Amino acid sequence: MKASGFLIIIVALTIALIGILSIYSSTYQKEASGWQLVYRRQILWVVLGLVLFFLLANFNYRRLWDASYLLYALVVFLLFLVFVLGAIRLGAQRWLRFGWFNFQPTELAKIVMVIFLAKYFSKKSSGDVSLLMTKFGILRAFVLPFIFVAIPMGLIIEQPDLGSAIVVLLIFLTMLYLAGIKLKYVMILAAIALISLPLFWNFLHDYQKDRLMVFLNPNVDPLGAGYTVIQSKIAIGSGGIFGKGWLAGTQSQLHFLPESHTDFIFATFAEQWGLIGSSALILLYCALVREGIRIGLDTHDYFGRLLAFGISLMLGLQVFINIAMNLGLAPVVGIPLPLMSYGGSSVFTTFIALGILANIAKKRSVF
Amino acid sequence: MRIKISTFFLGVLFLLLFCGLFNLQVLQYDKFSRLSRKNHIRLLAQPGARGRILDRNNQVIIDNYLTFDVMVLAEEKEELDQAISIIARTLGISPAELKKAYRKNYSAPFIPVTLAKNIDIKKAVALEELKMDYPGVVIQQRPVRSYPYGKLACHVAGYLSEIDQWRLSKLQDYGYNPKDIVGYGGVEEKYDYYLREEEGALSVEVDHRGRFVRTLGFKPAKNGKDIQLTLDLAIQKIAESSLGERKGSVVIMDPASGEIFALASSPGYNPEVFVKKTGSSLADIFANSHSVLMNRAISGAYAPGSVFKLVVAEAALDTSKINLGTSFYCPGGMLVGNRYFKCWDTHNQQDLIQAIAHSCDVFFYHTGILLGAPLIHDYSLKFGFSKPTGIDLPYEVSGFVPHPRWKKASRSQIWYDGDTANFSIGQGDLLTTPIQIVRMASVFANRGFLVNPYIVKSIAGQDITAYQKGNKSLGIKERFLNAIRQGELKVVADPQGTASVLAGLSVAVAGKTGTAQVTRGQPHGWFSGFFPFDHPKFAICVFLENGGSGYGACMVAKQIIEEMSKQGLV
Repeated sequence: MKASGFLIIIVALTIALIGILSIYSSTYQKEASGWQLVYRRQILWVVLGLVLFFLLANFNYRRLWDASYLLYALVVFLLFLVFVLGAIRLGAQRWLRFGWFNFQPTELAKIVMVIFLAKYFSKKSSGDVSLLMTKFGILRAFVLPFIFVAIPMGLIIEQPDLGSAIVVLLIFLTMLYLAGIKLKYVMILAAIALISLPLFWNFLHDYQKDRLMVFLNPNVDPLGAGYTVIQSKIAIGSGGIFGKGWLAGTQSQLHFLPESHTDFIFATFAEQWGLIGSSALILLYCALVREGIRIGLDTHDYFGRLLAFGISLMLGLQVFINIAMNLGLAPVVGIPLPLMSYGGSSVFTTFIALGILANIAKKRSVF
Repeated sequence: MRIKISTFFLGVLFLLLFCGLFNLQVLQYDKFSRLSRKNHIRLLAQPGARGRILDRNNQVIIDNYLTFDVMVLAEEKEELDQAISIIARTLGISPAELKKAYRKNYSAPFIPVTLAKNIDIKKAVALEELKMDYPGVVIQQRPVRSYPYGKLACHVAGYLSEIDQWRLSKLQDYGYNPKDIVGYGGVEEKYDYYLREEEGALSVEVDHRGRFVRTLGFKPAKNGKDIQLTLDLAIQKIAESSLGERKGSVVIMDPASGEIFALASSPGYNPEVFVKKTGSSLADIFANSHSVLMNRAISGAYAPGSVFKLVVAEAALDTSKINLGTSFYCPGGMLVGNRYFKCWDTHNQQDLIQAIAHSCDVFFYHTGILLGAPLIHDYSLKFGFSKPTGIDLPYEVSGFVPHPRWKKASRSQIWYDGDTANFSIGQGDLLTTPIQIVRMASVFANRGFLVNPYIVKSIAGQDITAYQKGNKSLGIKERFLNAIRQGELKVVADPQGTASVLAGLSVAVAGKTGTAQVTRGQPHGWFSGFFPFDHPKFAICVFLENGGSGYGACMVAKQIIEEMSKQGLV
């Protein structure tokens, strides 16, 4: 394995270990013994994630090119299954049960959309692709891929998982932009998205509206929807420069902070380790994203290049949205912090994505 | 190129995160740190007990007993509803009423809210047992004032209530807070600083549902200091029962030291109603037209009537206006200026001792006119009138002693001899308090000393009587003193004496009666004196507001002295 792939796995593993420590601390004082198992399960996910990483790192990413339509079909099928089961059970559902494992197809959908779009925009291969791209008409460059993206996105919104849908949309916009589509089209899409926001508002669930209102002013509903944001800010702010120390985070360990081991794991960490710890954590994520982009820049294969960029930016965007949401800088949408948040699906797909990156790094000399 | 722009854009976003972190963790650290502490640390007040009030023999007059309050600590609506429904069922109160109480008493999140006070012990135990299932229900023990003798000594003790704005503004610097319970009137107010308990606190860490995690700190409550009075419970009881339902006051004092043995004022009230706060009985107290809360012994100023003649006698003797042989003829009245002043009877020839014994007004009209009003005024001041006695009870009034200059200044009227005549028999504008009168009576009992009355003997076992000012000698000549005392003895012993009903008791009593005309209603009745005559141990003043005459006051005094000797207290 090349040095860059090695760097990726070291950084990723470090972040994952920090995640396990944070999950342990956030569940440390929960009375029911069931909670004590949470961090152990996360250890299992990380170990399995590592296995997936090494599998993917040794799996020629060019084969993903061939399999991309199949993967796309699989994801749409799984999302459809979630939709159907949800409709049958008359309730919100985001996961499918595989024995003892609750799998969230949404997480998989994100990485698959990156692969699919990377393939779509590099179909004609070789060096003059960008030239071809500019020649692509509005239909092929824009409308067609949009339809492809809109199908899984619609299913994700229906779950309802607004956050992931936004991530998928952002991935789409980023890929469009990176693929060299005329800036005009990207702008048009962004404008359409902006204009449709007010219309979109009416389709939101009440709790989603609440969250957005609360983002604008958390004090609107301090014990309801605003509670999480307020408690998260208190947790982070009270950490100060040096933090309250390992296992001494009162906000997370006394459960004032909801979701302290999943979406708000960053607040849990920041409370205990302070500005110093959380800055270091953000720098680790930066290093990971930077390394991914460097791999992309060093790759001559257009598909591999687009894939590496897409994966890096997808990770970067998710990290940003999650931390911004913890800091109260973004509305509370259910997006996990990659590698840190508790949850098998997120851990698996992140390691898969990183495995692909490592493989790209390994193979880049081929071309 | 585009990837560089994207990377740069992402870099800016991450920089934004750093700024956000810096803002929360450095710039706003103090605020969030405080909020975090507020989240998980609760202070639970630990009430202490107010100091007790004891009599001179350490018998408890005013005590405390334990009551139980139900409080609820719930951050979630379901939990609250559950707690309220279970409390409502146990106490037999409607949930709506409890919810109203909750809204009324709610002060801030994470502070227990009182729903019901003074619940009975059985219900408290029943609720305490439910605590496991309903962690939001808190039962707090709270010592509350109890009055084992009901309204006994109510004016000496005073009552307790929530601090008012006026008191708070004065006492804030001494550590008093809004909603504190403080004394109103009596020893409870005067010595509140010593009696008041210091609230302790338990600081506990709780989780997001308000459930106990661990104790962080504990400061035990400090009980207030017990105060020992100079009152004698037995004498106080006798004084109050003898006074009965009549409006008036009885003060019994040690004439040598100024220690108050009994201080009664009627009508009284049961201070317990301020603790229980049952609306109707409180309203009764404030609506009562007889000033139930007023301590007549120190806060009521009344015309003393003939009781005052002793002061005039001393003044006239001391200034040699009369001597022990001087006598005046009483035909039942006399003309002063152009007005005829009546005596209450026809006494014929009277010398000083007879005039005191028969309370002859004509004798004192003559004496007073010889003296002149300014001298009577000056001697009154010497006997402590027109100033508070300085007894350690709040709201003592000064009374009033008139002076010709005062009449001119305030009413632009000339002082006539008629005014002097009225003044000499304790009528007119003269106003005195029963405590001033008992002090005056003591001067003749202790042979010429003006004492400082006081009612608190010790605080928390430490004697404070040493801080009392010494008695002041008035320099009364022995001869005059003996004559006046003789006159006082005759008041009782002479068959024609005005207090002859007091003769034949097992103890020799000396004193002076008074019947003071008032502008409205029946005259006030007074008796002031001392006993036993040879070695006076008690000075007494009985005052009956609109009581008709001195005779009524004598009857009360008789009842008191009889009962005291029966109980072997004399």
